[in-house]
Amino acid sequence: MSYDTRIQTGITGFDTMLGGGYLPNTTNLIEGPPGCGKSTLGMQFIYHGAQQGEPGIILTFEALPETYYQMAAAFGWDFRRLEQEGLLKVIITSPEVTQIDLEHANGVLEHTIAQMDAKRILIDSVTHYESAMAHSPNAAPKSKVSLMARGTPAPGASEKFVERDRLYSFLNALKRQGMTTLLTRETTFLFGDEEGFSGGAGIHFIVDSYTMLRYVEIMSAVRRAIIVLKMRGSAHDSAIRQFEIDARGLVVMAPFEGQEGLMSGTPKRMAASFIKAFVRK
Amino acid sequence: MKMHTLNTRVPQDLDPDLLDFLTTYVDSFIKWELLLFFHQNPNTFDTAEGIARYLGRDKEDVQDALSFLKAHGLLDEVVVGNMLAYVLKPNAELQDKVQKFTEATNDREFRRKAVYHLIRK
Repeated sequence: MSYDTRIQTGITGFDTMLGGGYLPNTTNLIEGPPGCGKSTLGMQFIYHGAQQGEPGIILTFEALPETYYQMAAAFGWDFRRLEQEGLLKVIITSPEVTQIDLEHANGVLEHTIAQMDAKRILIDSVTHYESAMAHSPNAAPKSKVSLMARGTPAPGASEKFVERDRLYSFLNALKRQGMTTLLTRETTFLFGDEEGFSGGAGIHFIVDSYTMLRYVEIMSAVRRAIIVLKMRGSAHDSAIRQFEIDARGLVVMAPFEGQEGLMSGTPKRMAASFIKAFVRK
Repeated sequence: MKMHTLNTRVPQDLDPDLLDFLTTYVDSFIKWELLLFFHQNPNTFDTAEGIARYLGRDKEDVQDALSFLKAHGLLDEVVVGNMLAYVLKPNAELQDKVQKFTEATNDREFRRKAVYHLIRK
């Protein structure tokens, strides 16, 4: 696969924002509040791949596979049939098992990826992974050993550094398998950024691309916004665009016009703010 | 209306294959739930603790039932670091039996008989 080849999500408008799609063999973060469409976007990415003959895996740490079959069916995506055809596997497991299994050769996940010749994977969600690994007694010693092996003194390493090292190792394991990975991550605030930037173990710095989904309130109505904030090795659209979820899944539309402060959750009309800033002073 | 007593619910009036399956594999409600769980979520790969969380059951009870199902050829045990994880064993014959059992549990009368079979044990 050439570097210029793009891994399309199949989402109208979103692939254009990404410059044609994700770069192959990369890790891509989708972050947003509950109900905004993260899992739908991820399922669409997997479904589109399967339609193109690229097998995919959904790795879930909480929602049962049954939930994905039902959610997908609402969009007319027959995940059970895809599983029967060997184009999809919805695997439920725990973060600790995933981490340690991937660290060892010939693990269950490695074997599954090879057997399916899977190219895409959705991790839904990495929030559970971060939370579980930060408190996992099973994973911590392994990481400290790996830190020492790299010449970094484990006793002096901060917890955040250990967590970041573990996350880095996990994402690299997926890259090693040749996967293009999509990770969903939860934010707890519904509008704006009231709690400040919650970077956890620094996942935003580790991943290759970072897309944020947001709710914004405009004229007493709640709309959904999408913005690509980072895409390593590729130009991307910097506009904040509106998107909707309809019978086809996510549909990305034109940028919001005449509004500013969209990321605050409560934008203002540009003319009013211009007057406030420059005229009334 | 035909009156049923518990005595008419004895397992003898069950399908012989299903009765054999019940007798061999399903001697507790936890095992029943686990069989249905793995049938509905065939790509499960997790520890007893994780599976207990999905079922909302006690970890020790689930561990015992998983060990039993592993010993009876329905599940495989995988060593993951210092943990034991469970996956569905690829055994077409046994999976057909689980499929038949699962379909049968959609029938209320079968469920009554199966429950009676369990509580008699």
